[in-house]
Amino acid sequence: MRILTKVATLVALSVFLVTAGSAVDVIKIGVQAPITGKYANEGQSIDNGVRLVIDQINADGGLLGKQLEVVTCDDEGKAQKAAICARKLVNEKVLAVIGSYTSGATEAAQTTYYRNKTLQTSDGTSDSLTKHKYWTFFRNSFQNSAQATFTANYFVKEKGYKKIVVISDYSSYAVGLADSVTKAIENEGGKVIYQGKIKSGTQNFTAVLTKIKSMNPDAIYFSGYYTDGGLIRAQQLQLGIKADFIGGDSNDNPDFMKLAGKSAEGTYMINFPTPDFLPYDAAKKFMKDYNKKYGKDPASVWALMNVDGLSAIVHAVRETKSLDTKTISNYLHKLKDFPGITGPVSFREDGERINTKFNVYQVQADNSYKIVNK
Amino acid sequence: MDIFLQQIVNGLTIGSLYALVALGYTMVYGVMKLINFAHGDLVALSAFAGLTIYTSIFSNGGTSIVAVITVFLFTAMIIAVVGVLLERFAYKPLRTAPRLSAVVSALGAGLVIQNAIMLIWGPNMKIFPSDLFPSTVYDINGVVITFTQFMILGLSSILMIALYLFINKTKMGTAVRAVAINQDAAQLMGINVNKIIMIIFIIGSALGAVAGLFIGIYYRGITFDMGWMYGLNAFVAAIIGGIGNIPGAMFGGLVLGLFNALISGYISSAWAETFTFTLLIVVLIFRPTGILGETVAEKV
Repeated sequence: MRILTKVATLVALSVFLVTAGSAVDVIKIGVQAPITGKYANEGQSIDNGVRLVIDQINADGGLLGKQLEVVTCDDEGKAQKAAICARKLVNEKVLAVIGSYTSGATEAAQTTYYRNKTLQTSDGTSDSLTKHKYWTFFRNSFQNSAQATFTANYFVKEKGYKKIVVISDYSSYAVGLADSVTKAIENEGGKVIYQGKIKSGTQNFTAVLTKIKSMNPDAIYFSGYYTDGGLIRAQQLQLGIKADFIGGDSNDNPDFMKLAGKSAEGTYMINFPTPDFLPYDAAKKFMKDYNKKYGKDPASVWALMNVDGLSAIVHAVRETKSLDTKTISNYLHKLKDFPGITGPVSFREDGERINTKFNVYQVQADNSYKIVNK
Repeated sequence: MDIFLQQIVNGLTIGSLYALVALGYTMVYGVMKLINFAHGDLVALSAFAGLTIYTSIFSNGGTSIVAVITVFLFTAMIIAVVGVLLERFAYKPLRTAPRLSAVVSALGAGLVIQNAIMLIWGPNMKIFPSDLFPSTVYDINGVVITFTQFMILGLSSILMIALYLFINKTKMGTAVRAVAINQDAAQLMGINVNKIIMIIFIIGSALGAVAGLFIGIYYRGITFDMGWMYGLNAFVAAIIGGIGNIPGAMFGGLVLGLFNALISGYISSAWAETFTFTLLIVVLIFRPTGILGETVAEKV
């Protein structure tokens, strides 16, 4: 009888050890990002960033004594491919998925991860991503409406603009941002006197600007992209419209200054801090390591946001000493001020990153930026 | 009122650029009965060539009247040579072929030029320096006109008047008109038709080159595929004015520019193209040969 118990215990123990040894030897982390296609440089930066951090963790002894392994799936920034990636990564039994870059691809994969209890963190800014309140989803960037609220507050409270003109192109991103900003300005008690639209790429915006000139605005806000923004700014000054020009996050590109020429000076840009503007030592170290490993800088701040999503999850695993996604999620929902490379990371109950900081930059005579908000 | 006048100034500026490009279409059509669809891409090529010439000769960033004149002359010469080569290799072998073959050849040549620009200069937007012309702004009772706009209006008017005088008052111009009416008869009268066609391509391409440079200087951002947009608008201008008719192309360009500015200013920029093509249809229904086009006698 005693022998039988011993044998049974041994068998049970060895079975346990074998399963433990084979299945939980490595922890898999998925990356769902556009590695090819239109947004390839952003997707590759996210993948590179994640791999850099994982290598560093593995070199330091891994996570809970186990090595991490990255599984990348290319969604090309397309919703159909994103759904396939979601299935693939779930079948690979990844603990968490980093990505995707675009809101559309993120949304298409979201439900699959939720049903299979797989964590996901993405930089998509579309408001709808946190609408379902999936406990598996964490946004590592900001909502469009957060940018709009910040913009409206800056316009009405800090600058005291009385007559604001909002211009966008016809893309759904720019129209969405322009609408949110207009609504937010009205909520703050400000007044948008004209909401105009321009056709992206037409180069000649004098017709709309001449119309705006007759309204004598204090401020012109443009929610579209830098290729149009730089020209609008140049033509605004040519026509002698003395209003401040404020560009949304997509105007923040060196080509804006080239297109606007001398008119760039004095332009305001509202954006999340760009990588070289992050004041944290961790960010400087990350940029240095990234450059050393890949010989170039990450395409933009989005890769760094996703890295922060990953770091927060790794931190949660360490603190809870658990690989149960529900336990990790519960911990993350209460996470406060985890020191990320893009600033303190805190999540809300619906997986929204809160207290993201925006900055207002003013372009100087030598085309450098100066932070001007309080 | 100043708003209206300002829109007129804006419209005339873009309109005179359309007119310069439209002249290239209309002259070639008048003489060869060929729509030179590669002309818009020559305009784009001139902007890129001009930028390269400027940055390689005057890399110190200094600007002077000499620099600007050099850039205009060199670019116009290069584009004129490209125009002559285009005619020699893409159109001359097809001169006796059905007209459709020549049009297809023109579309093909346009694609070749466009892709050559992309391969040489890359697919990204290139940006003109902002100090080619002084950034002086003249304010006349609230109506603003920049030095660049003034130059565009002034130089294109001078070029158009010169062209009009050349065609109507010189011996060479008479020969051009003769070839336009009947190539065989002109040849029998001792006119060298090949030489006249070459001159047409030199003048048309050089005018297009001036327009391309002005587009670069005025709007700064140039892309390899921008020729299509300017080409299409200029082509519409040429038809509205009456294709084959030189004053018609000038008139059509100015009308189109004004029309565009007023529609964008008073209705919506999204509707500008819709109205442009509606205008084209209306003109073609009521005056099939264009506003200044002559009524052609039916040949029986």
